[in-house]
Amino acid sequence: MSLAVLLSTMRVQMKQSFARSMFRFCLIANPILNTILLYEMYRSSGEENFMAYVVLGAGLMGLWSCICFSSAGDINRERYSGTLALIFAAPASFPAIILGKIIGNTLMSLLTLGISLVTAVVLYQIPLTLNSPLYFLLALAAAILTFVVISSVIACLLTLSRKTELYMNCIEIPIILLCGFVFPVSVLPGAVQVLSRALSPTYAVELLRMAVWGVEDPMMFWQKLGILLGITVLYAVLSALLYCKIDRRVRIAATLEVA
Amino acid sequence: METVIEVKNLRREYVTRRGIWKREKRVVKAVDGISFAVRRGEIFGLLGQNGAGKTTTIKMLTTLLAPTEGTCKVLGWNTFGEEKRIRARINFIFGGELGIYRRLSAWDNLRYFSNLYLIPRREQDAHIQKILELVDLAERADDLAETYSKGMLQRLQIARGLINDPEILFMDEPTVGLDPVGARMLRDIIRRLKEQGKTVLVTTHNLAEVEELCDRLVIINKGKVVARGTPAEIKGGAETLEDAYVKLIEGVNV
Repeated sequence: MSLAVLLSTMRVQMKQSFARSMFRFCLIANPILNTILLYEMYRSSGEENFMAYVVLGAGLMGLWSCICFSSAGDINRERYSGTLALIFAAPASFPAIILGKIIGNTLMSLLTLGISLVTAVVLYQIPLTLNSPLYFLLALAAAILTFVVISSVIACLLTLSRKTELYMNCIEIPIILLCGFVFPVSVLPGAVQVLSRALSPTYAVELLRMAVWGVEDPMMFWQKLGILLGITVLYAVLSALLYCKIDRRVRIAATLEVA
Repeated sequence: METVIEVKNLRREYVTRRGIWKREKRVVKAVDGISFAVRRGEIFGLLGQNGAGKTTTIKMLTTLLAPTEGTCKVLGWNTFGEEKRIRARINFIFGGELGIYRRLSAWDNLRYFSNLYLIPRREQDAHIQKILELVDLAERADDLAETYSKGMLQRLQIARGLINDPEILFMDEPTVGLDPVGARMLRDIIRRLKEQGKTVLVTTHNLAEVEELCDRLVIINKGKVVARGTPAEIKGGAETLEDAYVKLIEGVNV
């Protein structure tokens, strides 16, 4: 995997994404609006540290939207602009190109967390506490890793189909709900929680929230981190297998371009 | 002379399914058993009506599409299964304004594709500058592609197609939408490529262009080869290549 390919793709992706007004909306306006919405919802809930559900929730919602509509949507944009076939047939490895796009997008999308934080501080002057900053950084790094890997699986699957827009709209809200971005997963029905537990962002969100509240039981933190990394590795293996398959499949199914 | 493109009994079918409960399967034969060979250094024309199977053939040759059946070899390697041996040595230009990152400048587009073609960084600048001058875009190199005219976008496409100095260049209707000056420039580029020993496979509806450029050609209709030879051989007793072409196509369609 060439580093030059990865870095140049990240650079191109960031330039391209930021030039799109929809991406700028997801990146900047979305976290501001979500922060306002969540603050109003949580204001009378008894929760005192708004960092856990308001700032983190709004930031993660924005991050996920950016990932859905960019990392996933980019496949479709590339398809319609006729560049998907070009990058696919280039000598550089296709997974490396897709990975570069995803890392570029994800890193840029992290801005949503900062915007959400600034919104909460400026608009509401609400008490925000981060009790275990080192654990938070660790949880954030793990969250970034898992989002990159999930995006890679999604991008791979969407290369196979031309119904990309439909699918990316279908996954945005369910993941926010299932993974407990804005409320604890424990409020969901038991059967649904089984699904939540199979999704790595659930653990990433719980770890981030634990760090915000303060990690009182480090063993539990490490245990959850282990589960998160384990599931992420499984997703990564699935992604690698899928990329081996799609190289043949897309050329048989003729989904690289629109007719 | 060495054969660099070998196509034998090549078929490609597209399968579509309709309906929700009772899925109806529909098979369209886009390419139906065509055969031809292209020698190194030739300019080879692939002619046919819209929907004849030209683009599908080019896509199979450029490793973008899997053949349903038959042999499809470029530089001695199968385009499906051995594509990694081929990709760095070929390139392709599809007509129209697609295939460009419009929110990047011409320079950034070419820089990016240089990276994707694994061209060493130290060689990139000089090569990109040379290509931009060749397609007459050097002065607008730093402007975003979205500010370009249709002709400029197509010239940028041509530049992208030359980024890896390909041994074989596939061009699918490259002059569509180009103004006469742009079309002449492209023809000059194609001739220059031939002088350098490159092979060019081109599809076009412009028969004067074919007569002017192509060493040999095949005409396909409804996925099958209906004529092959040099432009003079195809023309035969007809007044123009266009007359001969129309007669051939009408004869098949009767």
